[in-house]
Amino acid sequence: MNPTALIAHDELRLMVRNRIAVIAFVLLVLLTLVAALSSWSHQRSVAELRARQQSAAEQAFDAQPDRHPHRVVHYGNFIFRPLGPLAAFDPGVDAFTGNSMFLEGHRQNTANFGDVRQSSLLVRFGQLTPAFVLQVVAPLLLIFLGYGSLARESERGTLRLLMLQGVMRGQVVRGKLAALGLVALLVGLPAMIGFVAIAGQPGALLLPMGIIALGYAGYLALWVVLIVLISALVRRSRDALLALVALWAVAVVLLPRVAPDIANAAVPLANRMQTDIAIARDLRQMGDSHNPDDPFFTAFKQRTLERYDVATVEELPVNYKGLLAVEGERLTSSLFDRYAGESYAAQARQNALVQAIGLFSPAIALRSLSMAAAGTDFAGHRRFLEQAEAYRYDLVQRLNRLQAEGVTYSDDTAIDPGADQRKRVDAEHWDAMPEFAYAAPSGASLATGALPGLAVVLGWLAVALLLLSRATRRLGER
Amino acid sequence: MGLWRHELRLLLRARLSVVALVLLAVLTIAALAAGLSEVARQRAAIAAIPASQAEDIGAIAAWAAETGDPGTAAYYSFHPTWDAPSPLAFAALGMRDVAPYILRVRALGLEAQIYDGDTFNPELALPGRFDFAFVLVFLAPLFVIALFHDLISGEREAGRQRMLAALPRGGAQLWQRRTVLRFAFLWTALGLPFAIAAIFSGVDAGATLAVLAVSAAYLWFWIALAWLVGRLRWSSVANAASLAACWLVLVLVLPTLAHVSINRAVPVNQGAEIALAQREMVNRAWDIPRDETMRRFYAKHPEWADSPPLPPEFHYKWYFAFHQVGDESVADEVEAYRTALEQRDRAARGLGWALPSVGVQALLTRLAETDLQSQLAYQDRIRAFHQRLRQFYYGYMFRDRPFGEADSDRAPHFKDLLDDAA
Repeated sequence: MNPTALIAHDELRLMVRNRIAVIAFVLLVLLTLVAALSSWSHQRSVAELRARQQSAAEQAFDAQPDRHPHRVVHYGNFIFRPLGPLAAFDPGVDAFTGNSMFLEGHRQNTANFGDVRQSSLLVRFGQLTPAFVLQVVAPLLLIFLGYGSLARESERGTLRLLMLQGVMRGQVVRGKLAALGLVALLVGLPAMIGFVAIAGQPGALLLPMGIIALGYAGYLALWVVLIVLISALVRRSRDALLALVALWAVAVVLLPRVAPDIANAAVPLANRMQTDIAIARDLRQMGDSHNPDDPFFTAFKQRTLERYDVATVEELPVNYKGLLAVEGERLTSSLFDRYAGESYAAQARQNALVQAIGLFSPAIALRSLSMAAAGTDFAGHRRFLEQAEAYRYDLVQRLNRLQAEGVTYSDDTAIDPGADQRKRVDAEHWDAMPEFAYAAPSGASLATGALPGLAVVLGWLAVALLLLSRATRRLGER
Repeated sequence: MGLWRHELRLLLRARLSVVALVLLAVLTIAALAAGLSEVARQRAAIAAIPASQAEDIGAIAAWAAETGDPGTAAYYSFHPTWDAPSPLAFAALGMRDVAPYILRVRALGLEAQIYDGDTFNPELALPGRFDFAFVLVFLAPLFVIALFHDLISGEREAGRQRMLAALPRGGAQLWQRRTVLRFAFLWTALGLPFAIAAIFSGVDAGATLAVLAVSAAYLWFWIALAWLVGRLRWSSVANAASLAACWLVLVLVLPTLAHVSINRAVPVNQGAEIALAQREMVNRAWDIPRDETMRRFYAKHPEWADSPPLPPEFHYKWYFAFHQVGDESVADEVEAYRTALEQRDRAARGLGWALPSVGVQALLTRLAETDLQSQLAYQDRIRAFHQRLRQFYYGYMFRDRPFGEADSDRAPHFKDLLDDAA
């Protein structure tokens, strides 16, 4: 056996002899399995629940009786955000965003009933998922197993002995790396087995899964290198342990919490009341449909009459109230899009700031990589919100056009006792309305979103390797 | 006194302990500053309500008055409610970053409005906030570990333990002195900045003392744990490693495990179902005889039953009546939903007796009024206010009194509700 393998073998034997280390390792594997199983079943039940609620909402929509189309605009439709299969590995912001949305005319409602407002305070302690175990817990176990790998040898003087026997410095370091790397591999294995189970689910995507596997492998490898590096740099193993735990606490626990606070303070977000009032103000300035003398709507009326070449709205071949509804919805929706776009842009700026801070914390970079590839990051939620808005607009405008073409102006303005029945259109129209179908992102687009995080993690790994090779050259000099 | 001064000198000569204490103080101050600025931001947003609301309601009142129809005014007027942060909120922001603290409601069906959220960035909310509670619950134990893991084992490894035990007032008394001194410094690093921030924010003395007492008790828990581990007579390194493992389990792993189990044991699906059921009920009114709705409404609210019969054309009192009937038809589901939420909360609080990390977080958010109970209390205030709104507009609609521009100034104000409660 060559010296590197011998040293690795020896290090592993030492770990196996350390009863606490073995217990900790077994506990971690168990924890990963529990996390994988529970979040897999959670993801399944959530996906099933939402699918069931979605189909109930669709049935309710289709089962409406004959109604005036504008009633259906306000009856609206409920949609539920589907949960992708990779959410079983990393649910990301799923618990923090509402997962159902009520869509109706002239209003943009919020996504409601997120887990975070339906759970106990424990939800803020973190969520037990394979991603959480690998991001937070696994590095600490590696620290416990590896802090003494080199510091112990130099503390006890055995490093000198090894070198006297002709072992190269590089061989010692590579042996320690190999031993700890094997542990890291074993630590990551249960989560990856769970990952393979997910891969069997329809809709799971190979490219983002590959990126996730690569990212976590790089992250754990980074910790292995960092641990051996610190262990090589300090003289006493206790110092190595304290320094590594401090590094872990700052990178994994502290910075991920501080970064959002900085982003929140740096980029203010308009609240809903401000946005609603601003939209109402803009609408009033654009045109006031309640005001008969409003220049915008007078011009619209004039344009419409000219287009159909008639003198009064009563002579129009279509229902003017429906046309007005189409025009009104166009106006409000353009404002919704503008303000939502501003809010999304501000949130994206906040997240970019957090990612910039992620340059100092590989845990932040890995988290964003993981969520992006799993499609459970802010971009994933935004994708849902934008599709929901597009669907809402399309549905409402279909209904408005139905009012323009399916209900006559004279019926629509009549108030006699029989008018209510004449205003209604046949119930078969509701069935013909399209249903909300969430278009899941392609594997390539998910993978693209994960690339910056991957670059940071691998960049850290490269820098750490560089530092380790420099530290190796000076190993045992003191 | 001389012995104490001597110990103090020893403690401050060790680089690790000085760095740790300064770092803890810096983190505490940073967390307090972050909490204070967040609370100030929320207060500023609440303070900005009247001006923007005046502009909005003014524009609506102007054209609603032209129609003179109270229903139009009631339909289009949004009335703001808010949940001002308590003086202590800066220390434990709790749910205040994910639950709305400003919500505008109108006199229409409340069940379709009360669950609405505010705009927040979910990626920023995900890791949790950097506040005093976080520093205390998550970080302070690590500092206890740094200062206490080698309290005795360090002296043993240096070969001084027997000599120290043989000294007059050595042995147990010596460890007591060192323990009390280290505790005092840790507590000061946490408590002094907090107390200053609390006085500055006008927190009452009782709550301030309670937080200080909770902090002290939590520190003592970790000190006791370090002492227990120290009794095993392992090396300093083994002590540090096992204490850090305890920290991981008590602060990170067990709470997340408990979260999964509680959410599984107490299912809450009714949220979206309330919204669906209420919508069905509200919209059904268009397809059934209007009198049926009115009968149902008057049966529950006889005070309006002497209102004139509905005219053949549209009348807003019918519209608002069916909204209220829709709300009332889901009252049982609403109750069940709330009970389930409270059950989850109670289960977590119960766990706080066994898990100090959870207990401290629960206590702090309770004292700071940023927990689920406070959220539900805010919802109760919204409900009470919404009731006033209904009463106010019904007074016009059901009595066919015209609604002039001046009448919108008479509409209930959320501030009055808060003043009445105070």
